[in-house]
Amino acid sequence: MTFTSFKFLLFLPLIAAIYQIVPVRCRVLFLLVVSYGYACAWSVRGAAMMAVATIFAFIAGKFAGDSDSQQRAYAVFLSAIAVLTLYLVFFKITAVLPMGRFGRLAAPLGLSYYTFKLMSYVLDVYWGKIQPAPSFTQFAAAIAFFPQIAAGPIQRPADFLTQVPPARTALWMGLSRLVWGLAKKILIADNLAPAVNYVFAHVKGLHGTPLLAGFYLFPLQMYADFSALTDVALGMGLLFGIQGPENFNRPFTACSISDFWRRWHMSLTNWLVDYVFTPLRMATRSAGTAGLAVSITLNMLAVGLWHGFTWGYFVFGALNATYLVGDVLTARSRSGFYKAHPKLDRLGSWMGWLLTVHLFFVAMVFFRAHTVSDAIYLLSHFSSGLGTLRLDLPHFADVVGSSSLLLGLGGYAVLELLERCRPDQWWHRTEPVVPQWLRWSVRFVIALFVMGGLFFVTVRAGGHESPFLYQVF
Amino acid sequence: MPAMDQTQALLALTDVFRNVFDDPGLELRDGMTAADVENWDSLNHIDLIVAIERKFKIKFTTREVTGLKTVGDLAELTARKVSAVP
Repeated sequence: MTFTSFKFLLFLPLIAAIYQIVPVRCRVLFLLVVSYGYACAWSVRGAAMMAVATIFAFIAGKFAGDSDSQQRAYAVFLSAIAVLTLYLVFFKITAVLPMGRFGRLAAPLGLSYYTFKLMSYVLDVYWGKIQPAPSFTQFAAAIAFFPQIAAGPIQRPADFLTQVPPARTALWMGLSRLVWGLAKKILIADNLAPAVNYVFAHVKGLHGTPLLAGFYLFPLQMYADFSALTDVALGMGLLFGIQGPENFNRPFTACSISDFWRRWHMSLTNWLVDYVFTPLRMATRSAGTAGLAVSITLNMLAVGLWHGFTWGYFVFGALNATYLVGDVLTARSRSGFYKAHPKLDRLGSWMGWLLTVHLFFVAMVFFRAHTVSDAIYLLSHFSSGLGTLRLDLPHFADVVGSSSLLLGLGGYAVLELLERCRPDQWWHRTEPVVPQWLRWSVRFVIALFVMGGLFFVTVRAGGHESPFLYQVF
Repeated sequence: MPAMDQTQALLALTDVFRNVFDDPGLELRDGMTAADVENWDSLNHIDLIVAIERKFKIKFTTREVTGLKTVGDLAELTARKVSAVP
């Protein structure tokens, strides 16, 4: 039951409506039951495994936070992290390597997300940043919270626990964020998808223009799709009074690769910075620059392999590690140069933006291509056949659907414009001075317009469910 | 090194911050966080920690470093560590 499916669009309003009449003290229990119901709708086995992992981490947290016995706390903390890592790695491996007569084992729903939540809990308790969770119901609800279970964002249990029991919900904000996410997914990402799918399915049969189109379109599709999924998850969270962490901050405006990684999939990168990079950097700090390079490399490989144990994700991580090391090691000299030549600062920012976007797009080819060989072919055949652009382009547009492609690209341009202008913030500022009847009338008209548009597009798609790209992790 | 309190540590840390973040005019306050200091990110956070360790001849643990939220926390921890040195 994906977030864009008809079943889910019936399930959500029903659950949100019931939630309004559930007494505040029972809301966490209600969320827990609904979240496990949702997980069971995907797979009862997967839900059961999540329950076992949750019980395990909850008990481990009790002992890891025991200040009376430091030795036992350390042993429990170390064992718990090892077990959770093995649990994650096992399913990452079995997803790509057949296991005898069982074939490939499908990973439980949201494995990568809830395992990271559980690990951060054990680590935070051991480090003394938080106290062990007082209630198992609250803890289990934080781990299984259904808006985030399929694809994040990775909200650390401590952040969730400070917001429960949720006394107030933010219906309008939640709904508008949810609808904005669905619009991005259906109008932009899904319209760019046919072109991207076509290129990456036929890489070695193509040359020139279509390959270039795939190179530029996939990151745009990925951003529209993944940020839409975050909007939907955060919007749903607000319907239940839970504010989740943001995942994106206009990543394609970054002027350096380190700035980019502060803006892309932020809940994952922040997690890895706190629990992988910082401990590694502390351990290697006496090694100076080499220690920094090793820490960055291992951290970025973890970013890549978190998505799955394939060579494509490995190269994606390795490339980003190389970019980041280069960026960090030259940061001081670049800063000194631009201070000495202030007139070149603006030009430097533009060049930095252009370079950052293209470097990341190159890495994304490895992320998306079926094999590393496909990715290398795509990157090395841009120029072959560019002379036939006039012939290639109409053919490509015919194959992937020119109206869909134009709608997707136009929608993406509007997305960037809206994220720059932020009309929602303008609306938020003016709201207190606008009479309540007018506020709700405007909200109603906007909601009606958007829902009508989405309904039209969904019906046009013939009830076809289009899963979000990040739901597979 | 003689014992110091949090206010003295904050003053002494100012020089370290100015060097690490290449900002000669930087003034520290207890409530400051990484968001208030330009270029203070996860990448050079440990450079700052190493610079403090060298200046005061102390050692921080990962557990201590990950628990820091504000400049005041860092000053308090530094003062405590320096005062504990025999």
